[in-house]
Amino acid sequence: MQLPENTYLPDFCTKRTLILGCGNRLFGDDGFGCEVVEHLQRHYQIPDDVYVMDVGTGVRRLLVTLCLSPDLPKSIIVIDAVDKAKAPGEIFELPLDELPNEKLDDFSLHQVPSSNLMRELSEMGVDVHVLTCQVSRVPDVVSPGLSDEVARAVPRLCERIAESYFVRAASQR
Amino acid sequence: MTKTLVIQPVSRIEGHAKVTIQLDDTGNVQDTRVNVIELRGFEKFCIGRPVEEMPRITTRICGVCPWSHHLAASKACDAVFGVDPPPAGKKLRELCNSIAYMEEHILHFYFLAGADFVMGPDADPSVRNVIGIIGKVPDVARRVVRARHMAAKMLEIIAGKAIHPDASVPGGFSRPLLPSERDAVRKMAEECFELAKFSIKFAKENIFPQYLDAVNSLGVIETGFIGTVKDDGALNLYDGRLRLMSKDGSYVDFPYDQYTDYISEHIEPWSYLKFPYDKRAGTFSMDLDHPNGIYRANTLARINVCDYIDTPLAQAELEEFRKNFGRPAQLTLLYHWARLIELLYNVENALRLLDDPEITSVETRKKVEPRAARGVGCVEAPRGSLIHDYTTDENGMLTNVNLIVGTTHNNAPINMSVKQAAKSLIKNGQYDQGILNRVEMAIRAYDPCLSCATHKFDGTLAVKINIYNSRGELIDSMAN
Repeated sequence: MQLPENTYLPDFCTKRTLILGCGNRLFGDDGFGCEVVEHLQRHYQIPDDVYVMDVGTGVRRLLVTLCLSPDLPKSIIVIDAVDKAKAPGEIFELPLDELPNEKLDDFSLHQVPSSNLMRELSEMGVDVHVLTCQVSRVPDVVSPGLSDEVARAVPRLCERIAESYFVRAASQR
Repeated sequence: MTKTLVIQPVSRIEGHAKVTIQLDDTGNVQDTRVNVIELRGFEKFCIGRPVEEMPRITTRICGVCPWSHHLAASKACDAVFGVDPPPAGKKLRELCNSIAYMEEHILHFYFLAGADFVMGPDADPSVRNVIGIIGKVPDVARRVVRARHMAAKMLEIIAGKAIHPDASVPGGFSRPLLPSERDAVRKMAEECFELAKFSIKFAKENIFPQYLDAVNSLGVIETGFIGTVKDDGALNLYDGRLRLMSKDGSYVDFPYDQYTDYISEHIEPWSYLKFPYDKRAGTFSMDLDHPNGIYRANTLARINVCDYIDTPLAQAELEEFRKNFGRPAQLTLLYHWARLIELLYNVENALRLLDDPEITSVETRKKVEPRAARGVGCVEAPRGSLIHDYTTDENGMLTNVNLIVGTTHNNAPINMSVKQAAKSLIKNGQYDQGILNRVEMAIRAYDPCLSCATHKFDGTLAVKINIYNSRGELIDSMAN
């Protein structure tokens, strides 16, 4: 007899809202998303139906598992560092249609096309948002630690996330 | 006119790679190179840190095989501290390793490499992917998705989290497994067992026969192999000795901490990644006709080096495999077949561990004290033997770190297989999408993990081919 779904789905496949911090802490400002998640977990009360996770460089694996889940979350908020030639530390939402257009056919776990998975989820009806911070430095060799500008952006974005998603999630319970 | 084809990066492998194919004046392949991005500066970054941080830090190296780094680092710490973890600690680690393997091998067979086989290498890229598979074989895809969910859930139950695990610690495992948790995990493992049995049967009946020509010809090279075996020669993926097999099938076994006596590292000026080779060969050569010192890691290597598998169904599959292909089997695409044998072994092994009363013992770790020492830890990562080598001072601070990851072992053979594939498939300047994808298939067989770079939305094309003339001018460009 097959197990019912509620007994085997990992937690991230059962929550209404996912907040995923992406990046590699080993490479300077690329660790922004991970730092945001750590700050949220330390300083905020996370509602029960919100899943906050530091997914590091493993976001593709999670997204592909999520895409194939029987029940999709209502919202996914991806937090990442990008270089869009803005002022270092500036926080902005990257519209999905501004994510890389290339390789839309490749539904892969390849490093770059995480964006395809997010678009796929969006087309499936999930409210997907990519909140990003303009990096100051992403070194070529291992060198952890955020720049001052990007470090100052961490609590600012956390406050914005809490206002937008924690309250809303709490009010829906 | 000399042309250069650049395939960059190869799609459906984890990370970035660039394939450059150099054509000669007649349009035939003169040379090929596979460049991968290596994590640079990690060893230096670790120096001066407390060694006990390594099991946690190394999971940050990449998001692809965090469990392998986590366990190799834990074992290296055990060796540095001079502790032998309690049986339950070791068994919980091995259980997590087997479950992580299940998730990896299912992912690779069905979603990464499977698209080539299920949809066919000449299929349009728009359907040659996981969505295409779901459309073509929806019932199979549904079972695969359930199993992947279960693998993630099992790791969540045993270790708290599947991404960036921290449950394994120097001296053992941080928490015991409750009997109720064991029972829940076992039910999921049973369902995964059914999928593992189905997968190899499905592949043998529907996939491999259809592509026997490709199996017999694509990326074929003759090399030695490396993998871990127990003292009695049985396959083991968590602990044992390294076995380095020559291409004639003879082999030498050695403890992990003697790896530098048997493995040397060659450097090529065009690659950051080193090329490990069998030191006993004396010299290194990737010449297709006269290779020297080259060995391979990963599934096919492990299936070749072991004398037997100590779980019944996987052993039966091994016997059938050897009857068909001999020992050592050299055909590169047999990595996929070997991967399915390993999938079966890992599920059988997980069930065996879950049935072991010791798995729920509360004695899961021992205390450790810092000391000046060198410790080498090794596990078989899905992509090959993963070696962590640490040295500490009397305060337990790292003074030296060396890592050899699975994909690095396969650096030379991947280059050779691509060259072989390109030479046999590109003639007189003629090439098309299917041919280039077959070159990529030769790489994907090794399941290389190249995901050690930063994560950025770069917008780079996943596959891009640029054709240059002998003056370095771009004369053609294509992408899939």
